[in-house]
Amino acid sequence: MSTKSNVLSSLFRDIESDIGTREMSLLILRALKDSLKALSVENIDEFLSQMKELAEDVSNTEPKFGVLNYNLSILLGVMEDCMKSKKCDRHKIVKCLINKIDEIVKSCHEEKNNLIANSGQIDVEGKTILMHDHSHTVWDVLCNLKRSGKHFKVVIAEQDFDKTHSNIEKMHAANIPFQVVPSYMLSHIHESIDMAFFGAVTLKDTMHFVMDPGSFSVISEFHVDQVPAYVFIETKKFSFWKSKKRSEIFIHHHKRSHHSQPIEYDRIKYSHDRVPAHFFTKIVTDQGIYTPKTLKDFFDKRLSKLESGAGREN
Amino acid sequence: MLIYAALGTFSLAFLLIVFDVFDKALIAMLGALVMIILRIITPEEAIAAISFETILLLLAMMTLVNIASKSGIFNWISVKIASLTKGNPLAIFLLFSFLTAVSSAFLDNVTTVILIVPLTIELVKGMGKDPKPYIFAEMMFSDMGGALTLIGDPSNILIGGASGLSFMQFIQNLWIPILFSSILTAVAFVVVFWKKLKPISKDLGELFVANVIIERIKHRYLRKTLHKDFVIKVVIALLITMLGFFFQEYIGLPNYVIAFTAAVILGIVTSKRVNIVHTLESVEWTTLLFFSGLFIMVAGVEKTGILFKLSEWISNSTTDITYLSLMILWISGGVSMVLNNVPFITVMLPVIASIQLSFGEQDSTMLWWALSMGTCLGGNATIVGSSANVVSVDLAHKEGVHISFLEYLKFSLPLTIGVLSICSAYIILKLN
Repeated sequence: MSTKSNVLSSLFRDIESDIGTREMSLLILRALKDSLKALSVENIDEFLSQMKELAEDVSNTEPKFGVLNYNLSILLGVMEDCMKSKKCDRHKIVKCLINKIDEIVKSCHEEKNNLIANSGQIDVEGKTILMHDHSHTVWDVLCNLKRSGKHFKVVIAEQDFDKTHSNIEKMHAANIPFQVVPSYMLSHIHESIDMAFFGAVTLKDTMHFVMDPGSFSVISEFHVDQVPAYVFIETKKFSFWKSKKRSEIFIHHHKRSHHSQPIEYDRIKYSHDRVPAHFFTKIVTDQGIYTPKTLKDFFDKRLSKLESGAGREN
Repeated sequence: MLIYAALGTFSLAFLLIVFDVFDKALIAMLGALVMIILRIITPEEAIAAISFETILLLLAMMTLVNIASKSGIFNWISVKIASLTKGNPLAIFLLFSFLTAVSSAFLDNVTTVILIVPLTIELVKGMGKDPKPYIFAEMMFSDMGGALTLIGDPSNILIGGASGLSFMQFIQNLWIPILFSSILTAVAFVVVFWKKLKPISKDLGELFVANVIIERIKHRYLRKTLHKDFVIKVVIALLITMLGFFFQEYIGLPNYVIAFTAAVILGIVTSKRVNIVHTLESVEWTTLLFFSGLFIMVAGVEKTGILFKLSEWISNSTTDITYLSLMILWISGGVSMVLNNVPFITVMLPVIASIQLSFGEQDSTMLWWALSMGTCLGGNATIVGSSANVVSVDLAHKEGVHISFLEYLKFSLPLTIGVLSICSAYIILKLN
């Protein structure tokens, strides 16, 4: 992995953990727009080569963010189309790219609205919903259900301090009744949970979702008790691209000291979890609601379409 | 016997402060108590020795800045400036240095570095660049900006309290050397660190990383909604305070009254948003106790007559005010490079006041300016030379950037000598 990919990996991980994948993708599009405006490379071949290099670096981050790869591949396509024109110059290419970025941002909002509209089909009336991760999509879905007059309550599975507090703030602001239970004590409340909502960073071609750390244990715990689990994800986040290094999970080794004894120990933290799609009852997307089986069909069709068209990057 | 007891107590306290054995406030208070217990100074004299004008001005400014910072306006300004740079390293360097200098002059330099250094590190380190040149520049500009005004640096607050010089007199007499010192510093930084500061507009990858970080900073620092009414009240209070300082001679009220009025009124009009108990907890009480203890210890030493003898010796050694001013500039500059300059300046205050008397009718205010320039700018030479430098190095350390004494010294020492030379030229030209 190049130094730039290392820098981007760390940066993207921090941002995603802070604001979620969708907001991160919008933030990155804004940053790219500003970068294109400030770029002073006149030679268009060099410009294209720098764009390709950037796309390559972004596609090799750990973890890999499907939505970013998707957006950059669209922009590269636009750039290459633009370069075919005889009167093409840098300013025109930048203008085309900026227009496309604006279009992508607009479509992002549309996709979010479609996903939220599809989630309206879930019957939540009088139910207790478990939420664990720090997913802006889940927030939006719950807020929309509340706005549409549904009555339900939420149990927030406590995890990372900042993420839990963001979940609390959001539920409080939306006036959704909620309780907080530590993640490791969820076994005591299985019977009172009717369904569990999750968000995801990406869906791999292995039919595994990349999700917030800790998600796997919570989902598998409820899977055993056959509590319905829903994952909400825009199809743009699906990963149809292979990175050079297949490791979605960043492992952070560090030293820690015991709080009262002079003991130092190795501590390992993981950036994400990988959760099999078949652990979920339904997968709610902007294109519709899928079961794990129909999701696989949808994914494969989309993939073969891409491979026959633009081709799959290796 | 009393002379030895007073000198012994002061010297011991001074050494303990220099070597940071205990908290400096505790040492200063203990030193003051020892002087009272040993009957070097009476309790009444001890109370009278404390310059409450100085303490109250510091307290008022700390309270005012604490309330103002809760409005989020300082973060908002810093983040907006970061956005203006568009990730250009030279623009980040110049704008942040300028912001540090201006903010240090009109708030105080420690508050300034607390706000700006972490933001700079996040921005520059996130871009994969070395943040040290930027931190070094901010350390130097915080001291230079602080040297410009009466409220910018603790040394100047002490000088202002002892000399009776006004806020405007500080600016009128110090802006020329500060301006030229700033230009020299900025040029030196750009030349020495050009490889790290040169524009990145031809590299899409670097531009992209820089802009992603700026967007993240914008999101992180501007997440809290700015309350318009709160911000307006803060801006009005700060403006009124500055105007009060500028026109203090016409208003006829001391600086601490102006600052306290603004702080109290701001506290009242923002009481729904700011808990005054929490605000007062954030006041650096240890600094105020440290200053109070020092005032008492110096009064004890002064009572023995030794400081009068020292000033007499200095006055008798020369009648040339230019020579005397240069001597004060370089001695105070040299001392401030290696020691906490507050104990030194507290000793120098009665000495200079006494020397001034021996000059009679002759205008000798340059002695105060020499002391101010020497202590504020001399402190720039080392990481322990000023409070802002100590705080900056600590903040950098917390963010994983380790600045060693020598690493900073090899750049700052020649530059500080250059800056003190500019001040010397100013003194010579002004007095001849």
